[in-house]
Amino acid sequence: MSAPVIDSKAAERKQPAAPAPRARATFPVHFAHYKWLYLLLLPGVVYFAVFRYGPMYGVSIAFKDYVPFLGVNGSPWVGFQQFRDFFSDPDFGRLLGNTLILAFLNLGIAFPLTIVLALLLNEVRLSILKRTVQTLVYIPHFLSWTIVASLSFLLFALDFGPLFLFINSVLGTHIDFLSDPAWFRPLIVLQDIWKNTGWGTIIFLAALSTVDQDQYEAAIIDGAGRFRRVWHITLPGIRSTIIVMLILAIGQMLNTGFEQIYLMTNALNRSVADVFDTYVYFVGITQGAYSYSTAVGLFKSLVGLVLIFGTNALAKRFNQSGLF
Amino acid sequence: MIMRKLTLAAAVVTVTALSLTACGGGETAAVDSSKISIMAPFLEAQPPTPDGAVQKKLEELTGKQVSINWTPNASYEDKMNITLASSEIPQVMVVQSKSPGFVKNAEAGAFWDLTDKLGDYPNLKTTYPDIQKNASINGKVYGVFRERAPMRTAVMFRQDWLDKLGLEAPKTVEDLYNVAKAFTERDPDGNGLNDTWGITIPKWGALGTNSPYDVIEEWFGAGNRWTERDGKLVPSFETDEFLQADRFIKKMVDEKLINPDFATFDSTKWNEPFFNGKGGMIVDVDSRVSVLTNLFKQADPANFQNKVGFVGNLEGPDGTLHAHPSDGYSGFLAIPKSSVRTEAELKNVLKFLDTMNNKDVATLLNNGIEGVNFTVQDGKAAPVKPETDASKAVSTDIKSYAQLGTNVTGNQFYPAKQASDYEQQVFDKRTDVMAADLKSAVYNPAAPFVSATYVAKGAQLDNIIADARIKYLAGQIDEQGLKDAINLWKTSGGDKVQEEINKLWQDSK
Repeated sequence: MSAPVIDSKAAERKQPAAPAPRARATFPVHFAHYKWLYLLLLPGVVYFAVFRYGPMYGVSIAFKDYVPFLGVNGSPWVGFQQFRDFFSDPDFGRLLGNTLILAFLNLGIAFPLTIVLALLLNEVRLSILKRTVQTLVYIPHFLSWTIVASLSFLLFALDFGPLFLFINSVLGTHIDFLSDPAWFRPLIVLQDIWKNTGWGTIIFLAALSTVDQDQYEAAIIDGAGRFRRVWHITLPGIRSTIIVMLILAIGQMLNTGFEQIYLMTNALNRSVADVFDTYVYFVGITQGAYSYSTAVGLFKSLVGLVLIFGTNALAKRFNQSGLF
Repeated sequence: MIMRKLTLAAAVVTVTALSLTACGGGETAAVDSSKISIMAPFLEAQPPTPDGAVQKKLEELTGKQVSINWTPNASYEDKMNITLASSEIPQVMVVQSKSPGFVKNAEAGAFWDLTDKLGDYPNLKTTYPDIQKNASINGKVYGVFRERAPMRTAVMFRQDWLDKLGLEAPKTVEDLYNVAKAFTERDPDGNGLNDTWGITIPKWGALGTNSPYDVIEEWFGAGNRWTERDGKLVPSFETDEFLQADRFIKKMVDEKLINPDFATFDSTKWNEPFFNGKGGMIVDVDSRVSVLTNLFKQADPANFQNKVGFVGNLEGPDGTLHAHPSDGYSGFLAIPKSSVRTEAELKNVLKFLDTMNNKDVATLLNNGIEGVNFTVQDGKAAPVKPETDASKAVSTDIKSYAQLGTNVTGNQFYPAKQASDYEQQVFDKRTDVMAADLKSAVYNPAAPFVSATYVAKGAQLDNIIADARIKYLAGQIDEQGLKDAINLWKTSGGDKVQEEINKLWQDSK
């Protein structure tokens, strides 16, 4: 965290007439000194207050028995009742398990694949080929989950989908990928990889372009092969980017993607498909249990927050710069 | 000085934030008895235009300035709840079902209790008191129900296939099996390939939604969601007949008489296998007969007769006809208390609803405007031909306005005249078959009752059974697994639901 130091130095240089306030200056003095900077900050603060923190007032319905007619204020306060109901619900363990398994599968498979793809693209020497491939792998990102799900339904359709026929004839089996619970998670991860891996490479490619080219030359002179160079120069060069992206990914981890899972769920695979996001929709929106589903959503957010702080602390512990 | 400014700024921000979040408060609209506001769903691609011919005619006939907030059907339930929490509440709301959201609001006092009031209005005093009771919440009537023909269950089959194989139309569930088997194994389309199946069932698992599973279970005698056994109400799925019926369906699945992708098959494509000559039968509402006939007519206007055959409900293995009816209504028009505050205002609104169900307005909402889009021929409404822009506009608009029709005193409007003699015959036969089946209808004895536990977690409970049923049929679990699911239903709160329903049932006697 070196940024503030640089800032205050710059301020000193620009405003020699008004010396920077002492470190323990009272807030009004500090405020008067930097009033224009604070003014600049104001729109951001207002934005967050109104559009981010204001709506959080609605989170209070997690502790009430909310009835729309009575309004948020008029509904009776029930404390942690909704949470108790949720934790004692037979669905709770299954939901938590399904959410975590999917989250870790995505993190463990899709996240490294993004880095691998970025490294592969980085090694392509022919510029036109590299650009073409890059553009092509970005395209799936712009298709909605509805289209991805429809494509999957067509490709894996029982008894006539091309992929269904191909895989089953190779394996000599008769697996209905769309309804077999064992195939639900692989299918979801596969869709995720297909749709998002290409897009995810953008930031890594940007980071890769900042790696010092001289080091490669030096390594080549020293006789390092391609894999040696990737392992000893490229990867350490983008290590901090990887860590930051990992922390961000972990923060998003429990957002397992409502649309995707909702579209791929059916009666036969629901036991492995139900996750927090679909459950909140199912219970909250279709059944009008707003308080209960808000409590579930709040719980999910808390777990997400703990994960972010945890990863950040771990990153710092291993001597990497964390996110904050 | 600076401190004060800062405090002021903070105060401004806080106040702005609070006023933004707290717009749910007060604000009473001035009451004007010549104006009526309504919230209703629309199922068409576009809502009707507010200055269309139907709207003008409606205002002329009712003598009120009617403003209708048309809301897309798909998000109606959400919008309804949001509207109830807002300050802009209409005087009349179409409520589509006794959803948990509605029940909670009603029990909190959001809507007028109309139980003792509807009788005072000639067009609202229902001729179907049983259906009104079904639409009530434990006997309390919170709205004017929207009547729907209770008997609509039919079995549709490819008449040409049946004729080719020399079979009779099914009468019993045993016949259903035999026809399905013949349609699957005896090459009904004569192409020499084993590429057909008997019955097409789409992804439609939820309990008590008149799905083909619900219907077949009722034919076997499992009852309609609830059934009386030894002086107590028990859920249909706890009966032996339920297991028998599911064994029967599973046998058909195992012998490939049912489309193998029944758990995932998209219901919007339900007609396709029937029309394309893949699946020979459909168990659904009888109006699908017309839809299917029309498909064949569009493909080949000269030769579409005798493609679609149908029968009504089928006899169960006990030799008795347990016909499957719906609850006879599709939601109701409720009157919120926050917009209609006094008894006098309520009378005004009820009087308006009374007018809405008289012959003139019912004809407008369901047939359209005579001379513009239809003419009366032999007591039937025949569409005006050729279509003009004006007649098209009216015909399109009334599809939405029909959502406001209640018809609680029977249909006051004209039945539609069918396009050809053949179609008229089919239509008349449908009417006769359904009327005959209605005499053997087995209703849901618990339809009027809403249990508190069911409101809280009914959908999750239902899902336990619905998913287990599909898994059993698909062979993922065995019969013991299905029985285990029924036990899980009991221990997860189902026992409490049953207790509450029985108490309400006893109290109402």
